[in-house]
Amino acid sequence: MLRSVKGLICQGPKFIPACFSQVCGKAWLSTAANQDAQMTAVFRTSEGDPANHTEEHEGQHYGIPLQELQLVFPHGLPQRFRMQTETFNEACLMVRRPALELLGYLKSTKPDYPAVRYVIYGERGTGKTMTLCHAIHYCARQGWLVLHVPDAHLWVKNCKELVPSSYKKERFDQPLESSAWLKNFKMSNEQFLKEIKTQQRYLWSKRESTEEGHPLGEVVEQGLRRVKNASDVVGVVLKELKRQCSLGAYRLLVAVDGVNALWGRTSLKKRDNSYVAPEELTLIQSLRKMVTNDWNGGAVVTTLSQTGAVSKPSSAYLPHELLRKEGFDTLDPFIPIQVYNYTEWEFESCYQYYLERRWLQHERARMDEGRQELRFLSSANPQQLERICASL
Amino acid sequence: VPITKAKPVIPRTEKMAFDQDWANVYPTAAAFKPSSVPLPIRMGYPASGGVSPPKEGNLELINIPNFLHLTPAAIRKHCAALKDFCTEWPAALDNDEKCEQHFPVEVETVDYVSAGPTVRNPKARLVNLRIKLSNLNLDDHAKKKLIKLVGERYCKGTDTLTITTDRCPLRRQNYDYGLYLLTVLYHESWKTEMWEKDKTEEDMEEYIWENSPSQKKVLDTLFRIKSSEKINDITKEELLTSEIVQDYRNSLVALKNEGETENNMANYKKSVKRLLNVQDFQ
Repeated sequence: MLRSVKGLICQGPKFIPACFSQVCGKAWLSTAANQDAQMTAVFRTSEGDPANHTEEHEGQHYGIPLQELQLVFPHGLPQRFRMQTETFNEACLMVRRPALELLGYLKSTKPDYPAVRYVIYGERGTGKTMTLCHAIHYCARQGWLVLHVPDAHLWVKNCKELVPSSYKKERFDQPLESSAWLKNFKMSNEQFLKEIKTQQRYLWSKRESTEEGHPLGEVVEQGLRRVKNASDVVGVVLKELKRQCSLGAYRLLVAVDGVNALWGRTSLKKRDNSYVAPEELTLIQSLRKMVTNDWNGGAVVTTLSQTGAVSKPSSAYLPHELLRKEGFDTLDPFIPIQVYNYTEWEFESCYQYYLERRWLQHERARMDEGRQELRFLSSANPQQLERICASL
Repeated sequence: VPITKAKPVIPRTEKMAFDQDWANVYPTAAAFKPSSVPLPIRMGYPASGGVSPPKEGNLELINIPNFLHLTPAAIRKHCAALKDFCTEWPAALDNDEKCEQHFPVEVETVDYVSAGPTVRNPKARLVNLRIKLSNLNLDDHAKKKLIKLVGERYCKGTDTLTITTDRCPLRRQNYDYGLYLLTVLYHESWKTEMWEKDKTEEDMEEYIWENSPSQKKVLDTLFRIKSSEKINDITKEELLTSEIVQDYRNSLVALKNEGETENNMANYKKSVKRLLNVQDFQ
């Protein structure tokens, strides 16, 4: 449960922020050679609360305590980042401009306005999921209820069990995916589930039902116990949360990674070998209702993801290409936020972080030519840089 | 027969004067003759550590088509010879715009001359008719219908309709058929049929914002925003004609019709931020 205390919270000597804006790349490098110990603070910040992140922290890594990590992101982080967290024994996220922009918008959400949709898009490996996680961390710290769907593509591909729905005849249920998601959702939002009460009576079977006025946690328990009803439980949970958020008791953040899966194609087949349309899946239907803006008091942050998208070329990254007409029209009007490759400053920061964590073991990696080689090979793409450094 | 050694032949290139008439060396289309072309050409994959093979005995140079018989000087000679068979170009048509204005339909035919058992060539019956649609009197609906009717034959970039006919045995018949097609297309595109009112959104050539689901959603959202701010007496027309909504409409139409460029996305983002009243907080 409790990880080792070592390296939980990044502590470095606090640098005066004014330094960074004046220091240019080369001058910074020469000082780096001289003052090794103080360099830790240039790419790290001890500001652990995303609410206080500003432009001064751009390019710096901030740490999330590991217990908080378990609570806020039971299933959300990308797999490689999770492996990195285990290796380094700490989770450090880089503060980048798109994330700061998004946090700025989220800070100014008004509770009576309809939910604003934000779509994070960008080429492969530029950091869309990490931006989403940054936003989720901020909202979790602010006390919002976070509804995080880690990868909507997982719900439209490789489903081992497709059960015809008992609620609506033409639809299909996915018990395994629903119960996995419910488990993780419960872990991150325990106290909300105790406080929110159902507003309607739900009949699960001849003998089991949930009465009006019972905490939502009971509904989730029902879903975990009877896996057969798990998909319907998910639908019920989403409906209740949406309805009650408009009343203003709490703020809701709907975070969907890979939202283009909701309107794309699935790779699931029916008995007669024809493809299942996304509308015929209960989970997808419930999620589609969540990302509309007919509720108020929260925000919907989504990312477009080509990796994992069924039948889309690997160069597609623009909203229209990935969302198709139907998806675009449903999400419209939304605020698009583009994520780019690392800037010079951010690349330096990442490189110094890897050096400090002793991740780059090759002798040449420490030298200037090694740094330039890394920059050229990865072309400042975060994912590529991470993959290349992994083998050094 | 006494065996005599063959005298080494001096290649023609050595004997050429630099001001010779090249049309005499290559009067017609002929294969590449390395001894007749005084150029140091190399062609082919270079040997390891070396260069491409030279022109002597180079099969690659012989196999490819060459235009050594069509130098500008040779073409000038051809034109001078053909001049006796041509008529004068009208002096009044001295630039392209005047030609297009007086003669919007361009008819292209090819005559083939070859020495053979027969003078006929089946390719000679092909007729190309080209016309710019801006010269035709078409309104919006007629133009869209015409473009849909002709399909591949219309080029959007140059606004030209090209009708190619060769289904009749004689050139004159093909020309008449081409003109007939043009007439029929023009008249048909002006008519509106009963089934045209079933045109769906997928058939539309460009995105029209009015009466689209996007317009309804935007109005709905704006009404909700206004009611949360306790402004309840704003009408639909006022909202539609307000600057914010018009700005959003323009950016969305540009995005859908022209595709997604940096500029378009930036404009869209700005207009949505203004619409939904989202402020930056940094």
